[in-house]
Amino acid sequence: MVVLRAGLCPGLTEEMIQLLRAGGTRTVVDFVSSDLEDIAQKCSLSYKALVAVRRVLLAQFSAFPTNGAVLYEELKSSTAILPTGSPSLDQLLDSGLYTGEVTELMGAPGSGKTQVCLGIAASVSLGLKQPVLFLDSTGGFTASRLYQILQAQAEDKEEQLEALQRIQVVRVFNIYEMLSALQELRDRLSQQVVSSTGPLKIVVIDSVSAVIYPLLGGKQSEGLAIMMQLARELKTLAREFSLAVVVTNQVTRDSSTGQLKPALGRSWSFVPSTRVLLESKEATWEKATTQRIASLAKSSRQPTGIQVEVDIGNSHVKELSPATPTQGL
Amino acid sequence: MVLTFVEIGISKEEALEALQVVRQECHGDATRTAGGSGATRKCTALELLEEEQAQGFIITFCSALDNILGGGVQLTKITEICGAPGVGKTQLCMQLAVDVQIPECFGGVAGEAVFIDTEGSFMVDRVVEIATACVRHCQLIAEAHQEEDNLKALETFSLESILSHIYYFRCRDYVELLAQVYLLPDFLSEHSKVRLVVVDGIAFPFRHDFEDLSLRTRLLNGLAQQLIIIANDHKSAVVLTNQMTTRIGQSQSTLVPALGESWGHAATVRLIFHWDNSQRLATLYKSPSQKESTIPYHITSHGFRDVQPPAVTQNAEDTEMNPRKRPRREEEK
Repeated sequence: MVVLRAGLCPGLTEEMIQLLRAGGTRTVVDFVSSDLEDIAQKCSLSYKALVAVRRVLLAQFSAFPTNGAVLYEELKSSTAILPTGSPSLDQLLDSGLYTGEVTELMGAPGSGKTQVCLGIAASVSLGLKQPVLFLDSTGGFTASRLYQILQAQAEDKEEQLEALQRIQVVRVFNIYEMLSALQELRDRLSQQVVSSTGPLKIVVIDSVSAVIYPLLGGKQSEGLAIMMQLARELKTLAREFSLAVVVTNQVTRDSSTGQLKPALGRSWSFVPSTRVLLESKEATWEKATTQRIASLAKSSRQPTGIQVEVDIGNSHVKELSPATPTQGL
Repeated sequence: MVLTFVEIGISKEEALEALQVVRQECHGDATRTAGGSGATRKCTALELLEEEQAQGFIITFCSALDNILGGGVQLTKITEICGAPGVGKTQLCMQLAVDVQIPECFGGVAGEAVFIDTEGSFMVDRVVEIATACVRHCQLIAEAHQEEDNLKALETFSLESILSHIYYFRCRDYVELLAQVYLLPDFLSEHSKVRLVVVDGIAFPFRHDFEDLSLRTRLLNGLAQQLIIIANDHKSAVVLTNQMTTRIGQSQSTLVPALGESWGHAATVRLIFHWDNSQRLATLYKSPSQKESTIPYHITSHGFRDVQPPAVTQNAEDTEMNPRKRPRREEEK
C-alpha cells in the first residue's frame, strides 16, 4: 500500500500529488490501475506527464520473474553475515546475522535482549567499521553501557569514539513514528545517498512489541492490520536493500499451560526467519547472575532446540561451552 | 486515549469534547508544544553518551542503593519499585520527591516533583520529617565547607520551598490515572523544572474490577509508552511502585511483581524490595547498565538510609521508626 509521495519518481511533484489526491487517487495501485485519460480530465494534468510517471512507477514497483540460478548468484554476491559479538551466539545463528532476513530475539524482562542488541551494534560498528541504525522504543538504550562494551573490545579511545559516531539512534515511541522512521530510511537508501561511513547493513529495533501492544486486544481490530504493515515494511527493507534486521520481542504466559510463549501471536511468528529465546539460568529473581541461555526457536538453517550459554556481563566476548540440546519451545 | 473512551461507551466526539474542556480549564489557552516528533529524536550514540554523562542522578541518601543503581535514580528512564506491603516503597518515593530538589552545588538536580497518588498513602507529616532531615544534612555540609554557592543555595532550600515544589495529584480509579498521565505533558511544559514524576501505586487501580484482561494489558502498555515519552522529552525520572503477587508453580510458589509478564517490559530499571528475617533488602533485578545485586537498607525517622555497620546497631534499633507500618517480627511470618 505505497502512498504517492513527492519525489517517488522524477516528474511526480508535490502539486501533482495534491491534485491527484483531490481526485481520489492516493496510492500507487490506484494510479496505475485507473484510466489515465479520466484522471487527466478530473485533475487537469497533462496526459503525457501522467503516462511518463506511470511507466516509471510500473518499472519500480512491478515484480519480475527470475530463476533459481540467477537468485543464487545474486545472494552469493549480496548477502553478508554480520558477527553478533558473542561467538556462542554466532554459532547458534549459523555464523552470524544474515542480511536480507529478519532475526528476532525474545525473552522475559531482564533476560538480556537489550544487552545483546548493544553488543551487536558495538561489534558491527567497531569490528566491521560499518554504520548501524538503532531504533529504540523502550527508552532502554544507555550510551554509557555501550561505551563500556566498546571499551572492553578496543583499547584505542579514538576508535571507540568513532565507533560511537557510526551508531545512529532514533527514539520512536509509537507505531506511527516507527513506520515513518522506516519510510525515511527507505527513502534515504533508495536515493542511494552514499554516506562517508560506508553502506548501512544492519538495523536493530528494540523493541517491536512495545509499540504494537497498545494497539492489540480490546475491541479494536486495526492493531493487527498495523502490525502486518510493520511486518511488511521490515521484510521488504531487509530484502530490497540487503539489510540484516534484528528485532526484540516480549514473551507472555500461556493462560492454559503456564508456559512462556512469544508475544504478538501467531501472525507475527511468520515474520522473522530466525527466532532466539533468551532465558536466565536461575528460575527466580533472588539469585543474581549474568549467565543467560539462548535457544533457537525457529530457523531455516539449523535444527531448532539447540542451546548455548551467553554471558551478558562486562566482557561481552566471553562465553562458555554450549549446553546439550534439549526439547524445543 | 480517545480509543479508550470508545470502549467505555461514549462517542468519540463526546470524548474529544471532554478532553478539550479539561485541558482548557487546567491550562488556559497556552499552545500545546509538540513533545518532539520522531525526526527530532535522531542522534548518534556519541552525542547520547555526552548527554548522559552530563546528566545528574537523583540520590536516595542510601549510598549502597545509589551504588547499585550507578549513582542514583536516572533521569529519562522509568524505574519500577516492587515489593510486599510495608517494605518501604512509598517511603522511598517520598524521599525521592525531597531529594530531587537538592541544589546542584550539593550534588542534586535542583528540580521539582510531581506525585500521583492512587492509594492515598502520601503522608505530609512524614514528608516534613524527611525534608527537615535533608535540609539539616545540607546545612551541615555547607558549614563544613563554607563555600559561597552553598550558602546562597541554602537560602532558597528550606522546608517551605520543598513542600511547595511537590505537585500532588490524587487519582481514584484507572480512568482518572490514564487521564492524568495523558494531560501530564501539558502540565510539564508549563512547569519545566519538574525532574521527577512518581506514580505511587500503579498496580492498585488495575487490579480490581477488571473483567477484560486483554483490555488491561492494552491500557497498561499504552500507559507505559506515554510515560516513556514523558521521561524522554522532559528529561525527568519516572518512578512507579508496583505490588507483588504469588505465582503458583508445580512444586513451589514464588512472589513475583504484579500486573503480568508484559508489564515487566515497561520499566527500564526494576528494583525489588523484600524481607530477609527482619532486614529489608533491595535487589536490582533489571537494568540496562548495572549488574544484578542485592543490598540492605534501613528506614529511619530521617528517611531512607544505609544500614549502619554492626558496631553501631545498638542505637540504630531505637531510631528505626516507621510511623505507619510496624517492622515485621519473627512470629508474624
